[in-house]
Amino acid sequence: MTRSLLVLGAISLAALIFALAIGSVNIAPSELWKVIQGEGSALHRTLLLDLRLPRTLAAFATGGLLAVAGALMQVLLRNPLADPYVLGLSGGAAVGALLAMLTGMGAFVISGSAFAGAMLAMVLVFGLAHGTGSWTASRLLLTGVVVAAGWGAVITLMLAVTPSYKLPGMLYWLMGDVSYARTPWPALVVLIFAIAVILPLARNLNVLARGPMQAAALGVSVRPLEWTIYVLASLLTATAVTTAGSIGFVGLIVPHMLRLVLGNDQRIILPASALAGGTLLVLADTLARTVIAPEQLPVGVITALLGVPTFLYLLHRSR
Amino acid sequence: MIKWKAVALLLGLMLLAPFGVAAPVCVTDDQGEELCLDHPAKRIATLSPGATELAFAAGAGDKVVAVVNYSDYPEAALKLPLVGNHTRIDLEALLALKPDLVITWRTGNPPAQMEMLRALGLPMFAIEPRTFEGVSKVIEQLSTLAGTEQEGFAEAERFRKGIAEIAEQYRDAEPVPVFYQVWQTPLMTINDNHLIGKVIQLCGGVNVFGDMPRLVPRISAEVVLEADPHAIITGSVEGIEDNQLDRWKSYTGMTAVANKNLFFVPASPISRPTPRLLEASRDICQRLDVARERE
Repeated sequence: MTRSLLVLGAISLAALIFALAIGSVNIAPSELWKVIQGEGSALHRTLLLDLRLPRTLAAFATGGLLAVAGALMQVLLRNPLADPYVLGLSGGAAVGALLAMLTGMGAFVISGSAFAGAMLAMVLVFGLAHGTGSWTASRLLLTGVVVAAGWGAVITLMLAVTPSYKLPGMLYWLMGDVSYARTPWPALVVLIFAIAVILPLARNLNVLARGPMQAAALGVSVRPLEWTIYVLASLLTATAVTTAGSIGFVGLIVPHMLRLVLGNDQRIILPASALAGGTLLVLADTLARTVIAPEQLPVGVITALLGVPTFLYLLHRSR
Repeated sequence: MIKWKAVALLLGLMLLAPFGVAAPVCVTDDQGEELCLDHPAKRIATLSPGATELAFAAGAGDKVVAVVNYSDYPEAALKLPLVGNHTRIDLEALLALKPDLVITWRTGNPPAQMEMLRALGLPMFAIEPRTFEGVSKVIEQLSTLAGTEQEGFAEAERFRKGIAEIAEQYRDAEPVPVFYQVWQTPLMTINDNHLIGKVIQLCGGVNVFGDMPRLVPRISAEVVLEADPHAIITGSVEGIEDNQLDRWKSYTGMTAVANKNLFFVPASPISRPTPRLLEASRDICQRLDVARERE
């Protein structure tokens, strides 16, 4: 168990170093070392410390947040098709961010709006799904999917009425772009906090995956655990979307990829998702900003292009 | 008591100025924000095609070191290094070219990236001319920032005179109702606050959608039919006729269609806030004269 995590950790580190070295201006490892030591040319220092390092750390944190959120959603809803956005969190965040863009606000207000929108979405679905009668995972899922569709309609409306010069900015936000991340620290802190909170509960999550009845019979307090997962997954998703817009694919596929290779023990899958999701997004972001430089691609395109063949290969191999 | 030393110093500085002593330059933009540089800029980055043209017009073309996509005028700009699109800039490539002045498009460049550049300490000057006088002013301001006042102020004055001449020529011209089609699907036009709207007014045209509240309204074909313009104009590549106005040809009841007043003008000169608006204005005025003849 720890061996696979160590291997993933090593791969993550390699990906981070790769991302720091590659860019519109390639920085050789010796130059990299010089900058870390405090020397190196002014341009390299600015590029590395002010641009690339925050962006790479933000990519890693966002990827980790999305992958862990996806894994948690899949456990909570007991549905392999669940991803972090299925309950409308990214929709709410998008409405918040687009409203801020429509009214001409700066980047800080846009991020704050996105976070507020996601939290509103979380509370809304929580309130609606709670309702009367027994609560089930499918009820939560249905409520979430419908509310997500509602957010989607509001987004479409906003795109239709916004002045044309604001459209590219909005579309790029919807596609997801790690270059929007001003600072990686909120995302990193939330990720570490979440892992710290969820690891002790991981064994209970394994039991919960068998079904609520069996879990209750085995002594797991099901309802509090489910709401904890819900709030935690929402927090992770909200932070991820606030940092880099709605990047798709990572939350859905990374947990599945890991399950094909490492099995379904949540004690391994959750931290492994953080590492693997982070690595995937770091590599995808590096490609997104270099493959047709100086043109910049949205990172969501690359995550899908990288992830789909990888997943299909793993699926094929596991048969 | 006159401080003779101060006067002597001042006179001395004034005498030295023509010899290119690098003095600080300060310029205030159209939102009232002031930008001061220690010395005239030597490496300018322009983050919109219009800004590239304006920099060249200001005489600072040989100081431009970074441009974005579609910076295709003047021809010399085609050889300059690209740093992405105006909506998504490759910040690393931009920084690697070490600009000491960045000309940005106030509403067109992404705010998140602009804030990042500001945080990195790059001197930024935002432009968005909305009137002919605004265009002249920006040329003068850019030439001040680049230390090329002679060329820049002359170009700005040439533009002012050209516009004034056209205004005088068409002051009493018979008004022609005009519909300017910016885009086909969705159907978009401009109101009188847009530079294109001002060009139409300059030539004695009346933009049938001039008093719409939005700068670039999205409209339906029905309201265009209702307004019944006498001329329909759109921009195309080099003004060559293409299929953008074909949809109107079937409405033979429209005055513009009956009089065959479906005109194409070169798209870039009229869409950018640059001195090429003079040629664009002459084009539009010529077309409206044709429309007047056919009334």
